Amino acid sequence: MPIIRTRDLRKVFRSPRRVPGAFGALRTLLSREYEEKIAVDGVTMSLEAGELVGYIGPNGAGKSTTIKMLTGILVPTSGEIEVAGVVPHEARTENARNIGVVFGQRSQLYWDLPLVESFELLRAIYGIPQAQYRRNLDAFIELLQMDEFLRTPVRQLSLGQRMRGDFAAAMLHDPKIVYLDEPTIGLDVVAKEAIREFIARINAERGTTIILTTHDLADVERLCSRIVLIDHGHVVFDGDVERLKNAYGKFRTLVLAFDEPVAHPVLDGAELEEADGATARFRFDRNRERADLLIRQASERYRLSDVTLEEPDLESIIRRIYVEGYAQPEETPR
Amino acid sequence: MHLWPAFLRLDGMDGSMKAGVMRMRFAPYVEFAKKAFAREATYRMEVATEVGSLVLRVYLLRSLWTALYAQNAAPMNLPLHSMITYATVALLMSLILEVDGTRLIREKLREGSIATDLMKPISVPFYFFSDGIGQTGLHAVLVIPSLLFSLLLVHIDVPSPAVLGAFALSFALGYCVNFFINFLMNSIAFWTLETFAIQLIVRWVSDLLSGQIIPLMFFPGVLGRLVVALPFAAVYSTPLLIYVGVIPPSGWASAFAVQIAWLVSFAALSSLVWRAGARRVVIQGG
Repeated sequence: MPIIRTRDLRKVFRSPRRVPGAFGALRTLLSREYEEKIAVDGVTMSLEAGELVGYIGPNGAGKSTTIKMLTGILVPTSGEIEVAGVVPHEARTENARNIGVVFGQRSQLYWDLPLVESFELLRAIYGIPQAQYRRNLDAFIELLQMDEFLRTPVRQLSLGQRMRGDFAAAMLHDPKIVYLDEPTIGLDVVAKEAIREFIARINAERGTTIILTTHDLADVERLCSRIVLIDHGHVVFDGDVERLKNAYGKFRTLVLAFDEPVAHPVLDGAELEEADGATARFRFDRNRERADLLIRQASERYRLSDVTLEEPDLESIIRRIYVEGYAQPEETPR
Repeated sequence: MHLWPAFLRLDGMDGSMKAGVMRMRFAPYVEFAKKAFAREATYRMEVATEVGSLVLRVYLLRSLWTALYAQNAAPMNLPLHSMITYATVALLMSLILEVDGTRLIREKLREGSIATDLMKPISVPFYFFSDGIGQTGLHAVLVIPSLLFSLLLVHIDVPSPAVLGAFALSFALGYCVNFFINFLMNSIAFWTLETFAIQLIVRWVSDLLSGQIIPLMFFPGVLGRLVVALPFAAVYSTPLLIYVGVIPPSGWASAFAVQIAWLVSFAALSSLVWRAGARRVVIQGG
């Protein structure tokens, strides 16, 4: 029984067509013409309770629009949606009790108040019993090391401290589901790791279902077993991170550094990815070509100063998919 | 009063509807009010300046009315001491009525943070109201020192307890009418984010036409009859005229009735406007 289920979810934004020129604004106001922008175009997915899924895609792919529909503040144009047995936009407040939300770019804390007072306000908003509140708050203070800034007004907190506060705020009422929208954006490596550790523990210890939207694929590699990849409003991949890596992992990259500039380097059996004269990157299928033979070929043709062989990481795989589109690669026999 | 529950239900009540009975937890709203009180209290300099400027205005108004009365003794049978009482009480009332909890609508729409509030299990308009109540609480505390300082400068008539009670009731109704006028003004932000000019104009007009500065019976002829018929009169003029006795006890019932009529109409209108505005946010995506 999935905890989150969507079927053919679509969202089309309709806005009046802008008329340029003098009196354009007025004509825009009176115009009956509309521009339609399809933000989400038939997203079908289902999540089991306790899953931690990376929901990723380029800017404008429809990630945030999907999340907004899941939180119930945006009404879908068509399709079905159900979160913990509730249709979010039909029962906004009931849905709100089941979910927690963290936005990296927007705080839900109360700007003028000490951090701990925001927590107290949330206790009242969700009607959290005192014992549960105390237990959660104590646990979060320890996990997120919030001792020293608990009484500091939110506006004086550093970004890292504020994010930790936001995480605690989103989890105080023990939500079944948590949406994280770019939660590590702008954080330094230490703060990022602390946040990732927290997400992993919440998921493992409390069985919280988590949807993580991010552009930092290190977050995904560290945390998610499953990726839903969305582009132009469509789901282009839904499955294991490992499967994605294996499918694309048959490619290796050979990086050559030349002693003297080479204008158009060529290697038989490998595809040139990029070259700037001094270096060149070639991609090849490791099942068809042998690295040692390619290196020998290269050294016969050019004077090389350095050779490196790169394994594909998730980042380069995703980048390729964004640029070239997703073509289901044949599974590599093992 | 069918429209009032609809006003609350449309935003934030769906989860609490059980067997047709609306259950509403007040704890969050009490907390909102407390936090707003605490937040306002952090701006100490502003608070001190406010009391200082109010006392100064009390003194200026006393001088102004005294000078005007020297030219024209007791217009409309309102003696000078009543006029000074009127002007001073009006200023003390303005300490409370200038609070605008609904400016949060405008601020939150501009920042986009209204989306975060809609992700909470609360009624957002009621949240604005309680935030306003919290701010009012702090300003009500300010009334005390303002009153004490003012008493050093002017003499204020103190009417009988019955009149004070009627004044308090009328003031409470006026407070609610004022809330909805502000609510409607700030709701313009749902359609156009730039509301400053409109608000400024409405503010000037309402300051003049509400009886805050000049008692409405001083307006001549048709203008006089018009300003009394406007909703702004329900905010300042009605409670003040009850206080100084221009509206006698026999006129209280009809005065309250007019205030309640404005209150109910504005609540209903606000309900419709909020519904349309929230729908717009929800469709456009915050």
